[in-house]
Amino acid sequence: MNLVSILAAGFLLVSASTAVAQTDCTRLVPPSPWGPNDQTGATNRVTPAVTKAAAAEIQEGKVIPMSYPLVDGVPLFGTRFTKTILTATSLAPGAAFGENELTYMEDTWLSQSHVGTHLDGLGHIGRKDCYFNQIAMGKFINQNMITKLGLEHLKSFATRGVLVDAVKVFQQAGKLKTNPACKKPCLDKGTLITAADIQAGLRMYNATLREGDIVIVHTGWGDLFEQYPAQNATYNSGEPGIGKDAAKWLISQKVVAVGADSWAVEVIPGEDPKEAFIVHNLLITDNGIHILENVRTDLMAAEAATTNRATFFFNMTVPRAVGMTGNFVGIDGIR
Amino acid sequence: MLLIAVATAILAALPAGADGRRYTIAFANLTEEPGVMLEGTGFTGREVRESFALAARRLPIDLVFYDNRRDARAAVANAADAVRRKADLYVEYFDDPAANDAVARTMREARIPVLAVNHPVGDAPLYTADNAAAGRIAGEALGDFAATVWQGRTVVGLIVGPVGTRQLGLPERVKGVTDGLRRRRPAMRIVTLETQGNPATVAALIGRAVAAEPNAKFAIAALNDVTALAVKSALEQAGRLADGVIVAHGCDRSIHGGASDRKEIDPNNRGSVLLGSVAFYLDRYGYDVLPLALRMLRGEPVPARTTTAHKLITAANVFKEYPPYDMQ
Repeated sequence: MNLVSILAAGFLLVSASTAVAQTDCTRLVPPSPWGPNDQTGATNRVTPAVTKAAAAEIQEGKVIPMSYPLVDGVPLFGTRFTKTILTATSLAPGAAFGENELTYMEDTWLSQSHVGTHLDGLGHIGRKDCYFNQIAMGKFINQNMITKLGLEHLKSFATRGVLVDAVKVFQQAGKLKTNPACKKPCLDKGTLITAADIQAGLRMYNATLREGDIVIVHTGWGDLFEQYPAQNATYNSGEPGIGKDAAKWLISQKVVAVGADSWAVEVIPGEDPKEAFIVHNLLITDNGIHILENVRTDLMAAEAATTNRATFFFNMTVPRAVGMTGNFVGIDGIR
Repeated sequence: MLLIAVATAILAALPAGADGRRYTIAFANLTEEPGVMLEGTGFTGREVRESFALAARRLPIDLVFYDNRRDARAAVANAADAVRRKADLYVEYFDDPAANDAVARTMREARIPVLAVNHPVGDAPLYTADNAAAGRIAGEALGDFAATVWQGRTVVGLIVGPVGTRQLGLPERVKGVTDGLRRRRPAMRIVTLETQGNPATVAALIGRAVAAEPNAKFAIAALNDVTALAVKSALEQAGRLADGVIVAHGCDRSIHGGASDRKEIDPNNRGSVLLGSVAFYLDRYGYDVLPLALRMLRGEPVPARTTTAHKLITAANVFKEYPPYDMQ
């Protein structure tokens, strides 16, 4: 770097650092309704009563997969990567253990956490350095992890799932604009799903939300994920999704998480070109509500269409990975 | 005439306005031809069109798109078709004065209000780039840099691009740069380098210019982004990267990029001699124009001339102005 560049960089750095240093998190992020020490957020809503009520959704024992296999070639955001390496094998001649000739294999998973079907934790998204519950995260990071708002603080996700079939909503309203790359009907990128659309989707299956639910939106965009890597560029170029008013309405319904078969759940390009992932801020930063990305929704959408029931027991375990901001998850909907 | 699309995504299920009405607005774009750059920037007609479709999502507007194809007959025919379709308002983006006069007459007779983009259409309100202001922003940024970093050194101002073009607001842009530079450094010698719109000429032009001034520093205004990147490369080839600072015009995607693109203007690339690019926001025209159109339709007064709010985009503000929120 030459002298000119260094001086220019210094000039810019001074302005940038000034902005960060002035952050007052009480002005940027609301407090948690669960108190000043809360690091759990919306999973506080998953009480024993909520889980018990959700269990009533299990009527046939039918398990419907709602996550995609994580494999080389699936679409990944930006520079994210995920790779497995078989690191220990004992198949070499003479390497088996004991007279029973035990062999084993292990692997190393080298991966960023927000890949494939995954959960956005509360430490994932903030405004400046302010995160959920007004936590100034700049004070709570080290070289390896966040020391507040990690996944270890989350409670159970054993609650009721409610599917909103946005494809059907748009079809029935006569406003479905699909993308030619989708093999099955899908909403095109940039399609805004409003609160009215979400409500129409619930009415379609006579569902009403209750506190502690997880809402999963079927946009059809996941069809492109399934076509990896052929349609990765299209999948990554934008997506249909919920907008701000839908997010605010879901917040008012006191849900635990919102998921979709897309990489950000929210509409991209967003409603305001100068806002970045604003629904993430509304749900995660301001309300401790999780986002579930790249959820497989087509099977549950088909099930709902067949049975005229869009609710299910939401079965997802999040590893208690200390200090992590999110993680790859497996989800099953049980009916 | 080519009616390219009727926006079906915005239908009655979306919100109506405060007056309970939805409006049909026709937008006739200058051209949709791939690769054709507009207004002396790197933006294409497709980006302009998309900005209208995106901006309309939250407005009580049904859009009808036309492509004027840079053809006067197409422009006139498109206007006639919009009359037949009973559009509530016509947004005309075309650069031929005679055709625009004809469109103005057609719309006046049909009592359809017109909003003009970048080129006057009768006495219709005009939304337009402000090339003089954009150039001035670039010139002042270069002048400020020179005054701060190169105090006491000989600094030559270079304006690089199709400087002799009499259209696209380029004369105003060049004058704006000159005014901006002189405002900060009144005695600065300013040289224009004519590229004829061909970035491949930049290496030789810059090479000669910097070789002639072995001890000087160079405050360089590039009239568009692609030229700016060529200037940077030329300085590097000449071994004079440390002696130049560049400000571009346009700020198209080639320079601010997506999530995974190599971005010339990037918080992680603060050391670039390409200090910034003055944003022309053709990819956001819809967000400026459609609210104006709604005000006209509701009988509210609008200014006779509304200009783009140009801004210098640097590594310090690029992620605010252009969040790299796609996955590419």
